[in-house]
Order: sequence, then structure tokens, then C-alpha cells
Amino acid sequence: MNHRKRSALAVVAAASLALVGACAPGNAGAPSSAPASAGASSAPAAEAYKPPTITLGTAEDSKGPAIPPEGVVKGGTVTMIDRDDFAHFDPAQIYVNTDANFGLLISRGLTGYKRVAKGDYKLVGDLATDAGTVSDGGKTWTFTLKDGVKWQDGSPITSADVKWSVERMFAPFVTFGPNYIQTWLTSENYKKDYPGPYGGKELDNIETPDAKSIVFKFNSPHADANYAFAMAGYNIVPKAKDTKEKYDKEPVSSGPYIIKSHVVDKSLELARNPNWDAATDPIRGAYPDVWKMEFGQEATQVTDRLVADSGPDQTAFTFYSNTPAERLQQVLGDASLADRRMISPSPYGNYYYFNLDRVKDQKIRQAINYAWPAKQIQQALGGPQAVALPTTILNENTTVGYKPYDLFGKLAKPEGDIEKAKQLLAESSNPHPTIVYAYNNLPTQEPVTLVIKNALEKAGIKVVAKSLDRKTYYDSISQTKNEFDLYWGGWGADWPSGSTVMPIIFGPVSDGGQNMSHLNDPTVKAEMKKIEENPDIDAANAAWMNLDKQIQETITPMVVAENRIGTFLHGSKVGGAEIDPQQWIVSPNTIFVKQ
Amino acid sequence: MFLEVNELTVDFHTEDGVVHAVDRLSFQVERGTTLGIVGESGSGKSVTNLAVLGLHNPETAKISGSIAFDGQELIGASRSSMEKLRGDRIAMIFQDPLTSLSPFHTIGAQIAEVYRKHKGVSRSSARDRAIEMLDRVGIPQPKLRVDDYPHQFSGGMRQRAMIAMALVCDPGLLIADEPTTALDVTVQAQILDLLSELQEQSGTAIVLITHDLGVVANTAHNVLVMYAGRAVERGTTHEVLREPRHPYTWGLLGSMPSLRRPVDLPLAPVRGTPPSLIHLPSGCPFHPRCDYLKLLGKEVCAGDRPELSPEHGHGDACYLTLKQKAELRERPVEETK
Amino acid sequence: MLRFLTRRVIGAAVILVIISGVTFFLFFVIPADPARLACGKVCPPETLAQARHNLGLDHPVAVQFVSWLGGIFVGRDYPGLGNCPAPCLGYSFVNRAPVFETIIDRLPVTIALTIGASVIFLTFGVATGIIAALRQGKALDKIASISSLVGASMQIYFVGTLAMYFFVYQAHIFPQPKYIPITEDPVGWFNGLLLPWIVLAIIFTANYTRMTRSTMVENLSEDYVRTARAKGMSGRSVVMRFALRGTLTPIITIFGVDLGQLIGGAIITETTFGLQGIGRLSVRAVDYSDLPTLMATVLVAAGAIVGMNIVVDALYAVIDPRVRLS
Repeated sequence: MNHRKRSALAVVAAASLALVGACAPGNAGAPSSAPASAGASSAPAAEAYKPPTITLGTAEDSKGPAIPPEGVVKGGTVTMIDRDDFAHFDPAQIYVNTDANFGLLISRGLTGYKRVAKGDYKLVGDLATDAGTVSDGGKTWTFTLKDGVKWQDGSPITSADVKWSVERMFAPFVTFGPNYIQTWLTSENYKKDYPGPYGGKELDNIETPDAKSIVFKFNSPHADANYAFAMAGYNIVPKAKDTKEKYDKEPVSSGPYIIKSHVVDKSLELARNPNWDAATDPIRGAYPDVWKMEFGQEATQVTDRLVADSGPDQTAFTFYSNTPAERLQQVLGDASLADRRMISPSPYGNYYYFNLDRVKDQKIRQAINYAWPAKQIQQALGGPQAVALPTTILNENTTVGYKPYDLFGKLAKPEGDIEKAKQLLAESSNPHPTIVYAYNNLPTQEPVTLVIKNALEKAGIKVVAKSLDRKTYYDSISQTKNEFDLYWGGWGADWPSGSTVMPIIFGPVSDGGQNMSHLNDPTVKAEMKKIEENPDIDAANAAWMNLDKQIQETITPMVVAENRIGTFLHGSKVGGAEIDPQQWIVSPNTIFVKQ
Repeated sequence: MFLEVNELTVDFHTEDGVVHAVDRLSFQVERGTTLGIVGESGSGKSVTNLAVLGLHNPETAKISGSIAFDGQELIGASRSSMEKLRGDRIAMIFQDPLTSLSPFHTIGAQIAEVYRKHKGVSRSSARDRAIEMLDRVGIPQPKLRVDDYPHQFSGGMRQRAMIAMALVCDPGLLIADEPTTALDVTVQAQILDLLSELQEQSGTAIVLITHDLGVVANTAHNVLVMYAGRAVERGTTHEVLREPRHPYTWGLLGSMPSLRRPVDLPLAPVRGTPPSLIHLPSGCPFHPRCDYLKLLGKEVCAGDRPELSPEHGHGDACYLTLKQKAELRERPVEETK
Repeated sequence: MLRFLTRRVIGAAVILVIISGVTFFLFFVIPADPARLACGKVCPPETLAQARHNLGLDHPVAVQFVSWLGGIFVGRDYPGLGNCPAPCLGYSFVNRAPVFETIIDRLPVTIALTIGASVIFLTFGVATGIIAALRQGKALDKIASISSLVGASMQIYFVGTLAMYFFVYQAHIFPQPKYIPITEDPVGWFNGLLLPWIVLAIIFTANYTRMTRSTMVENLSEDYVRTARAKGMSGRSVVMRFALRGTLTPIITIFGVDLGQLIGGAIITETTFGLQGIGRLSVRAVDYSDLPTLMATVLVAAGAIVGMNIVVDALYAVIDPRVRLS
């Protein structure tokens, strides 16, 4: 199903099916990943990884052009090589990070993230003059479109286009994209509430007082709606040129480039959109004249090509081909690659959930947290260069106001504190409990499972490991009546706030749902509702971080899992290549070709 | 002399040792005559004739002696001169016409090919010639059958086609290696008649290899009996069949059904098995199987090798005296045992 | 011959329908739900139902199979996705295109890969086999035997990866393998595929060398070959016209099998060299539970094998007149 984040489909290597479900990070769908957090945790090359800071920009910040990276050169042709083609061009169908990232090149939305400096981002107005104005206690959001923003045919982008773009997401053919705005405008059953605009019906609570202004009136307060609008899924589609389901193949550009040619799964070429004006765009640098993209290259090949850096590949890079495990030592060990290497821990949350219906004693859950062999798992998956060891539920890359904490002494004893665990077990209802651990049957998971089993057994916990088929793994563990005590799951934030993580992973308990620990605590629920409706976004972000710690302290529904660190390469003549820490993919906005 | 073979020796070097396939063999064939070479399997008949055609693999076969064909020495002749000779002046027909004809090409093509190769004529005249040859060897409707494949012919017709192919260039010498063995008895006679008829027309010399003295009786002018790679008896057909001198020849004759023999007398194959060509018996190679060994004693028969004598005319290689031979010949085989 | 072909083609069609049916039904035994893939990260039950309806997955399996079969002849309309004109092999919810289009797009890659490699391995394999047979026991024969043994034990992902590393990344002798349609740029087409051809040929040549050598050795001792020599045919014509002719049948047999399999998709080769052919497509279809694409790749593979079988049988008749009439 759907779960994890945008990354899923694309990022994952093989097991796509599974992945989608899971989301991601580890890429292989399973628990291989894990983040960094804990402050400076990851850091391959001695330099500590710093999570990004994301702040709210002003109207001034929202003016174009984008801030150029150092040494920028305009012009030239850049080549992008990856395994899979993009699945969707219709913004309404875009959720995964690869599609969203490509969307930056050909489409725009009301808001977006502007790179101010490395690791420093601001949410600014993209088509809008600023990141929106909130009123009515967070229920009403007003945006004003910039002057001079046009479609590729030169016609102006109007508020009617924006309204239309949101309305069409209710149509039956739209099954992929995000649904936040839709449910806020109507209800959880949004597709029943409104059939889409094609039959002539409009949504009354999107108002367009004039061609430049657009007003959204939600049923409840949503102080972070401007972040939701930054999702690529809410990029806009021209009302006059909408071809419904066919639009996915023939998008109209509002961004700096136009698709010149596209052979599915093979190649794609972009040429400049003459009607895009850099002066209106604070986000996209759009430095190369031409983009050529090649698909069908496995991550190993992409890595080999970029390492070799020969001829045309000098101007090549990859959006998402993470250096695979078998090449990682080579890539990290080669000093000559230092300035062509990009490193970032994944933006996903990775968890070993306890099934609270079965592991009922918090002391046992805490004991397992103490005994947890985080460091050994890290070793099994390639060491600190490949895997970071976060200690918080929320991911440092996708949480504004991130504040690390370390409840179970993982910074001091990442290898596990067996004594402390034994002590807690002795106080518990059962000093020698049996834990059924279900894992995804992937090659990387066998050694990890062994490490977990050994560590927990040292503390006196008997571990029964159950291997599950990768195609059915997520279906099995997301059954509420499952027979397992502990299993890995993941989730990614849709924007940098606990509001797209906590209410989901601790949300409604249902078969196939995302609340895999089955946590159903009235206090937590009330607190989440309160934070969600808090019109003060800074206060809300701080509150999510507090809730993160509070949940682990008072309930302990999970062991926070390891997070995968991505290592990407680019050719020697590619400049400005940086991983977008929120998307875990190389951003096209700053890319340029050195002459 | 048209074909004169002198002291021909053919040895094969194998992993098991040297196979002495032909040992100092000499014979002659005149133009227009037929020499029948008779012997059991492995007696060296075919090896001899393949040597005449130069078809042995030079890597494995060691050939010495002399083969003079119409005055030209064939041993040591160049590959290209042998290729020119084969099919043109010396032709050969084989025992099994089904396997000896290419299954992939039409009869006509296989015949015409030889003619074109040696006479350098056009495709169409070679084809005409093939039809003419098929007609000559008695294939009905040759113009239709010329495009047939061998498997569409009956056994006798195939051998006729084979003969047509062999004779297409009017060769001076035809080597026929068991040409009738694979055929029905009635067809055998037809084929042999055909060969004789063609010989009369063209004056071709024929070497007829067979294990069947009956075939020789009706066709050959002269006979050479071979055993273990050697000639054991030689003479005109009349001489050899009327007054066979070598005990092996007697054996061959005894194993042959004959109208002159009482019908109730069982056929008596030559007893024992042919000797190993790697480890040949000393002296007369036939002595281990010879019924008359006791008459001379083993010291004699296993001593020096007997040579053909007399040197010309009807000769044989056996230490028995002519008188002994004449007496023994008249008795039925049973009595001597 | 015409009757033979008609009979065989009808038989082949029946086999293909059976294979499609089995594949189709097997697919529905897999626990994964393709509709979920057609539904985004946030997939409420109504959206899922919608996706299921869009894909025609809300009918019984048998009905779906019949619609699928019918689509091949008359095309189909997919609600919410669009029209899929005949021959419609289904509409891929992963590629969002009629599968037939995708197949037509990929097939040339696989066919070019197959044919180019075949030309090389057939030529080299048969030639070395003949030479080895004629030089039995000599150095050349031994070299051919050993190298074919080595070649046969190689794996494409091993040789291919090495070749890529040394010849493409290090020495730059070959360009990055890629497929350019021959109609666009014949030289580019050739250069882009040369390395995959060679690597594929290294693996396959061995088989042909061994097969050619052994049947050639056998054929050289056939009576009719001896007859040919007795007729005064030159050494070369004896080998090419007579001995080789008999060797063709077993070569064609294995070649038919190899060709059928290669057209069905050289999965590892295509992956190793990053070529987007039928093989890659099928792997991706499995990964994404993309039933229509999977069905189509199965059909292409099965069709190639069944088709090659017919071609091989027909070729037998051309090569060997004995087969023709019996």
C-alpha cells in the first residue's frame, strides 16, 4: 500500500512492491536504514552531519531569482542517469520523491523550499508572492500570485488554474497523489464529498476573488497548510489545457523547462521554457540549457560510470542512485572522489515497533531498548559510514525545531546495556520473556536478525525470529491481529513537521493501517489533536518534539531503528550538486555544468 | 600394364599399436579386364583400394611400395593431382548406396557435379550428361528422376545411380567395393550385368572387391584372394575357382552355396576368426585356422612367411605341394577333419 | 509444407492461449494486490476501490481473462485510463500505457541484441568448430576445446561486468552500451551494441564450437563424404558442401532454442549493460506486480520459443530433403 514516503517507489531498489509499502529508506524496504540523528551521528568522513534548518521566508525571500551556488555557470548540457523513469508528470499523481524532484523542472506550486545556503532552507512563495497568509485561527489561507508567471504557451497563470488544480484531485482517475488539502476542505471521505470539477461542479470553499488571489477555507485550523502546498502533488495544472488522465503524459510546463522528448524508461530530454522568468522564481536556478536523462542503469553501473568519470560522464550525475553496498567501501575510500561525493542520512523514520497488544509490560519494552545492539546492527550493515543511529522518533532532516534526546543511553552504550536491561526485566512481570520478531526476508536482514537475537538473549529474552516473504511483509505486519511482538516499519514526513508523522504512526488502528504498534492512548490522541490545531506553528513544532520524547518515555511503543546514509556521486564537471536533505535526492535547482 | 601395384604396404598407427592392414601386396589389372579381390572383412581389400585412390589420411596411414596407374606413380602424388584423377580417370563405387550418396543433394546434382568438376562444362550440359548417364544405367524416366533425392530411389536404383556417377567421366579404372552386398539377390545380378555391359562398351578396367566368390565367378577375369593384408592366391577366375590351391580359398569356396554341391551338405564357414592385424601370426598368417596344419607341422607353417608361387600365372602362398593340394581339393572338407 | 505450417501455427496459438491462461490465473494467486500499486501513499478504501475499478480488477478472474483475450482482437477501454487499441495486450498501470506500445518499443532492443550476438557466435562458433574438427588432436583443436570450455563456464554478469570495467570505464575502447535505432544512426547502433554482442557471443560461441566439432567429426567419416572425396571434390568443397550440411541440423536445433530464449529476454545481459529490452521489462513487471506487462513478456518469450520451434522444423525440411517428404 502506500505508506511511506515519497521515496519509496523509486528509491528502492529491487523490491518495489514491498517498498512502496514501506517506504523506503533502507531502501530495500526494510530495515536497513536509519538515520542519523543524535546530532552528529552519521558522518563518514569525520565531519559531522548537520541536519538542515528550515525556516519560514518572507515576501522578500520569495522574490526571484534563486540564490546561485558558488562558481555557477549558465548553459551547457547536463546528463542525469538512473534506474527508473519517472512514474508521473501530472502533479496530482505525484507522491514519490523522484517524481516530485523532477516536477521541480517543469512545474510550480504556491509554495516551495528555497535554498539559502548549504543546509539552510526557507519555505517561500513560489507562484505566490509569499508563503501565504493565515487567518480565522488557522482555518483560512490566502495566497496572491506573482506578476509575470506564465504557462509555457505564454498565457498567464491565474487563481482559477490553482483552484482547478486542487479540485481535479478529487476526480476518480487521481489515485496517487497526497490528500491533505482535499480532506481539510471536505472530510476523510473526500472523494464522496465532491466528484471533481469535470462535471461542472465547483468547490465553494476555494475562492478566487480575482485573477491573482486565492483563498482556501478549511474546516479546521491547519497552521502548516503552506508546507502542504509545497508538496509537488499540489503543483498546478492549466484549466484550459487539462486533458484529465492523459495529462500525466502530456504535461504543460510552468517551470523552467519543457519536455522535448521522452521515450518511456529510456530517455528524456528537457529544453528551456521561454516563458519561464527567473525573476519570478526564488527556488529554481535552472542553469543548464539542456537536460538529458538516461534510464535503465542499475545503481552499480551508475556508480561505476561516475567513478570512472570518463568523457561525457563528466557532466553526468544521478538523482537517486545511491552507491550500493558492494561499492561503498571503494567510493568512500577513494580520496580522489572526495569533492564528487555527497552524503546524507535518509529523511525517514525507521522503527522496530512493539505490538502493544502482545508486549504489554513497558518494563520489558524498555529493557529491550536498553539491550538493543544498535552498534552491532550498524556494523552488520556497513558501519557508521553506511548507517546512522538516531534516538528520536522524528527524523532530524524533516523536523523543524528538531531536538535530540537519548532516553536509553544509546550515545554512551550504542552496543546495548545488558545490565540495565536485566535489572528492568527483573522488575517486570516476566524476567525471561519470549519475543516473536518478524522480519522481511531480504538478504540484509539475516545478519541483523542474528545480531538482535544474540543481544536480547544475553539479557535473558528468548527471541523467536519469523522470516516473512518480502511481497507480503507489510500486509502481514499491518494486520492488527498479527502474531508478532516486534517488527520493522517506516514512515516519512510529507513536510518538516511532526504533523505528518505522529498522527499517522500513532493514528487510527486498522488492518493495513500505519499504526503498527497499536498505540491507542487517549492522552496522546488529545495532545496530537491539540498540536495539530495550534495556529502557532513554532509552538506546534516544539510540541511535536516534546510529544516524541514523552511517548517513548511513558509508553515506549518502539525501538528507534538505524537509518541508512546515502552516498551519491556526480561527474567532475557537474557543479552545485547537493542532496536535498528532506527528499534524499539530488536537487536539480542548483545543478550547473562547469565549462 | 594399366594398374600395377607392387609391394604395397599400408600401416595404421593407432593407440593400440601398428595395424598392418596391407602387407607387401602386388597385383596388376589390364585395360578392359576385371580383377576380383576376395577376402573376409579386415583382409585389406578396401584399404588397398582406398590407397589406390589416395583416400587414406596421411596423418595416420603409412603407405609404401608402388602404385602405377597408366604409368603414373600414385604414391606420393600431390593432393591436387590426385583430386584431378579421382572421379575422372579412377572412379569408385561403394557398398551401401544409401549412405554413400549425399542425402542433401539430388541424384542429378551429385552426378553433374563430378562432370562439371572434371570437364569444366556448363551447368546445363552437365545436367544433360547426368540424364544421359541415368539412362545408360537403366533408370527409367531419367529426366524426371534426375531431380530426385537418393531416399526416393530404391536400393538397386541407387546403386545404378552410383554407377552412373562413377562412370560419368568415362574413367579408365573403376573400383567397385562390394557393390552388390547391400542389395537383393536379383538386383545383385542386374547390377553385375550392368557393370559387365558397361565395361564392354567403354573398356574400363574394374577392380571388384567382394567377399563373395560367386560374384567373382560371373564377373571377373582374374581373382586375387587376400588374407590378413596379404595375397594368398592369384590367378584367372577360371583357374582359381576350378583349381583353388590355398586352403583359405577352399574355405571361402566351402562357405559359398553352389549348385555343384550336394544340397544336403551344410555350408561350412571358414572356422576360427580372422587374426589381429596388430599381432599377426608368424609365417603363414592363416595357419592358426588351417585344417591342414598337421600335415606340415607348426614349425613349417609358423616359420618363414610363404610367398606367392609361382611368380606369374596361377600362384598361391602355401607350403603344401601342388600334389597335396590337388588331392586335398577333391575331398569334401569333412573327411579331412 | 503449407499444411504443415498451418497446423503448426494453429498449435502454437493454442499453446500460447494456454500459457497466457495459466500465467493469468497464477498471478492472481500471488497475495500482492496490484490495485494498491495504482493507489498512492495515502490510499483510503474508496481510492483503492476506484483504482481497482480503473484497472478492471473488480471482475472475476475468468471474466478478466476473457476481456484480456478479447482486447487482443478488438481493443479495450479502461475507465479512467483511456483507450487501448487492438492489439491490446492490456494497459499497464505502472507504465500508464498500453502494453503493446511498450513491447513494440522494447522488442527492437532485444532483437538487435539477439541478432547481432547470433551473427558473431554462430560465425565464430561454427568456424572454430570446423577448424577444430579438421585439425583433430592438433594444437588448434586443443585451444578451441579449452577456450570453449572456459567460455561455456563464464557467466554474463561476470564477463559483462569485467568488460564494462576494463573496456568502457578504464580503457574507453567501447562507448557506454546503449541502443540507438538503426534507422537513426547505423554507426551508433553498431557501436552501442558491439560490446554486449561480443560478451554475449563469448558465452554462446563455446556451445557452437563443441557442437560443430563433434558433429563435424562424425560427418567427416560419413560414407557420402568419402564418396565426395572419391569423386575428386576438393577438400574445401567436401567440408562445406557435404560435411557441413549434415552438421547444420543439430546447430539449427540449438540455435533455435537459444534464439527463442534470447528474444524472450536476455535478462542478465540487458541488466548488465543497461539496455532496455524485453528482459528488463519482464523483471520490472514482476517487481511491480504489473500483470499486463508480465503477461505480454511471457507471451513474447513463449511466442519466441514456440515460433522458433516452427522455424527450426521448417528449416529441417529445407536442409534435409528426407524430412521434407516424410
